[in-house]
Amino acid sequence: MSIRAELKYKIMKDYGAPVLMAFQNVRRRKPRPTPAAFGSPLDSNQRLKEILSRHYFLSRYAPGVKKVAWVTSGAPVELLRAFDFYTIYPENHSALVGAKKQGADYCGIAEGDGFSQDLCSYARIDLGHMLSGKTPAGKLPKPDLLFCSNNICQTVLYWYKAIAHELDIPLIHFDAPFVTTEQTEADINYMAQQLQDMIPILERVSGRVFYLNIFEEILERSMETSKTWGAILDAMKAQPAPMTIFDAFGHLAPIVSLRGLPVAQDYYHILMDEINTRVTQGIGAISDERYRLIWDNIAIWYKVRFLATFFAERKMNFVTATYTNAWAETTGYLDVKDPWRSMAKTYGQIILNNNLKHRLDLMKGMIKTYAVDGMVMHSTRSCKPYSVGQFDLRKAITADLDLPAVILDADIADERVWSEQQIQTRLEAFCETLEGSKYG
Amino acid sequence: MLRFSKHEITINEIIKNMNIPDRSEYLKGLAQTGQKIMGVLPALYPRELLWAFDIHAAEIWDPPGEILHANAHLQTTICPVVKKSLEFILKEPQTINAGYLFPHTCDSLQNLGTQVKDLIGVSLPIYTFYNPKGRFNNTTIKYYQDILINFQSILEASHGPLEPEKLKAACVLSHKIDTYLMVIQQARMTDHLSLSNHEYFTLMRAQEYLLPQDYLSLLEQVNILEKPAEFSRARLMVSGILPPLPEILVFLDELGVSIVADDLLAVSRRIPKFAMDPPGSPLDYLTDRFFVLPPCSTRGGDLDERVHYLSNRLKESKAHGLLFDMVKFCEPELFDHRLLVKTFRERKTPVLTLETELEDHISGQDKTRIEAFTERLFEIVST
Repeated sequence: MSIRAELKYKIMKDYGAPVLMAFQNVRRRKPRPTPAAFGSPLDSNQRLKEILSRHYFLSRYAPGVKKVAWVTSGAPVELLRAFDFYTIYPENHSALVGAKKQGADYCGIAEGDGFSQDLCSYARIDLGHMLSGKTPAGKLPKPDLLFCSNNICQTVLYWYKAIAHELDIPLIHFDAPFVTTEQTEADINYMAQQLQDMIPILERVSGRVFYLNIFEEILERSMETSKTWGAILDAMKAQPAPMTIFDAFGHLAPIVSLRGLPVAQDYYHILMDEINTRVTQGIGAISDERYRLIWDNIAIWYKVRFLATFFAERKMNFVTATYTNAWAETTGYLDVKDPWRSMAKTYGQIILNNNLKHRLDLMKGMIKTYAVDGMVMHSTRSCKPYSVGQFDLRKAITADLDLPAVILDADIADERVWSEQQIQTRLEAFCETLEGSKYG
Repeated sequence: MLRFSKHEITINEIIKNMNIPDRSEYLKGLAQTGQKIMGVLPALYPRELLWAFDIHAAEIWDPPGEILHANAHLQTTICPVVKKSLEFILKEPQTINAGYLFPHTCDSLQNLGTQVKDLIGVSLPIYTFYNPKGRFNNTTIKYYQDILINFQSILEASHGPLEPEKLKAACVLSHKIDTYLMVIQQARMTDHLSLSNHEYFTLMRAQEYLLPQDYLSLLEQVNILEKPAEFSRARLMVSGILPPLPEILVFLDELGVSIVADDLLAVSRRIPKFAMDPPGSPLDYLTDRFFVLPPCSTRGGDLDERVHYLSNRLKESKAHGLLFDMVKFCEPELFDHRLLVKTFRERKTPVLTLETELEDHISGQDKTRIEAFTERLFEIVST
């Protein structure tokens, strides 16, 4: 670690970042007028922006001070935090690129270099970034380490292998066996042992020693943060719901990419307070919530605003989603007294690593608990584990619960896949069915 | 007897001449005798354990026929291996009577297993088998043994207790088959095998449905030449999931191109990299066998290791070029493909990539591309 780099990092952290935030606040564009269909936006949005901007801004000064790791969203990052890695989440970055409607550009760079257009767009955007250095976040540091887990998909392993080869850096892979019926003792022991096997490698790469007590503190914080996030999502049961799931897609960022850090823990307390106030005062995210919907699969990042407005104008609010729930669902398994095995249970059983019966039961439960009237499923080309099985899930849910449902064929971040006319027609038909089913 | 086909003959005739029974008739005949038959999806599974329970593994990779009903269950962007497998399962064929096994190969097959079991529902039991991913170490080895023991227990619950002697015998049989396959592969690489491209892959793929004893008998009949054949043909190595379409294989034969080596998931990636000792403890044997298989995208293996393995194969087989026959939407292969193509192009190895949706026929465009590629190969032969 160079003293100069450390000093620079400290200055940027203590002075640079706050100045930047203040400057951003001053020159902040006049906010777009909120369509009448929406209630007032959450105050926490501003804090969220600050946190994420600060995170990306500081990452530029991390090299030489902290080792940088690129991490997948489902990986047990708490272990890396114990070694003080600066973590960057390529999925989060790809979603950001997608939201800025720049996905096709980045994908094109990867495709031009030989990656197939049939691959996951998060991966193509990230590889496009890696090959070109382009990013809407200013600049991202190159990683010293890659850390992935196939608990969200096998794709991340192939994707990170490609980066590891290109950049000639180590890759740590956490192999999470798919849960076909239930986790076996062998599965749990295997995952627990893998985590412990990682320690010497992480010590070598980070140059730091592992302390169990520090790790336990991080785990405790992570657990508490996930529980708070779960409580925020729970608050959406209120009618009207205090925020939309499209808001939640944004507020998800800290639990995904800053999990285990005090900043994420503090942030969710702020958001929880605001949400609770809204619930108490009966403030809804949309002006007149008459229909409540569930969203399945990852967001269509380049069309979040379009979809939010489309539904809000029809008095429809998304109050729950399998996607946002994924970072709260298995937190209950975490146990600081039994860190390794409890992490195996927590990270091994998340929705995308679990069988479709589990998903069906989970979705049915959410539909009942959140008083849902209709379901929108995003069938995304990029995510096979999320999308394979959706046709039969819809069939089972509509048959059992007599719930109107629609499937949108799109992509998470590659806007070239979006077919506005076709989707609009489908959505109109869905809304008609929904209105007919609820109010005859 | 096996013989080289000098004249244009139909694919069925080739199979007939090799004394390899037709898949569907063979399995029907077996089922009528009361043989337990399990449909097994791609790719890696402990076949020896099934054999020890007197269960015959009939592998399902690319069943013929149009995809109709599967389209109601799967999106258009799902690979044809998965779709064709589901189409086959939905027909509830009489030949499969002991259930289906879904080894963990990729995201799509992983989900298809639970989709069939938990949502679609079929009358037969569904089994799964997890193959560890990534780089392997002692933790992985221990876990793989646990998976084997667990799978054994699951089979015992339906098929009664395992007789240890049967498992031992199954391992011995498996070892013999592997040994023959390695010899045949070597003979192919060194021109000691007089089989056309199509005959060679028909022989290699017959293991997907023949009883192991029958397959072993077939392998025993293969004529390995004492001296290498005079060889003026262009030499090609092929990589991908399945061998190219029969029509492509025949077309390559017509053009004077021989596939002398492969890196196919359905073929060479399931044959150990090197000769193994005869089985001692079955558990150790099965474990060792899994870990000595060639590097494979579906196991998430190291890319350098795969490049190194392919380079060696190319060198050993003296192949003049490399054909990547990519199954559409196959993520594991598509990720590795870019680096492999780059690496071999940099080394001046002619490379051709075809994309297949497992159609029955080769397109005119692909035919032209193959012809152009072949010309490049012959330029190398002539120098």
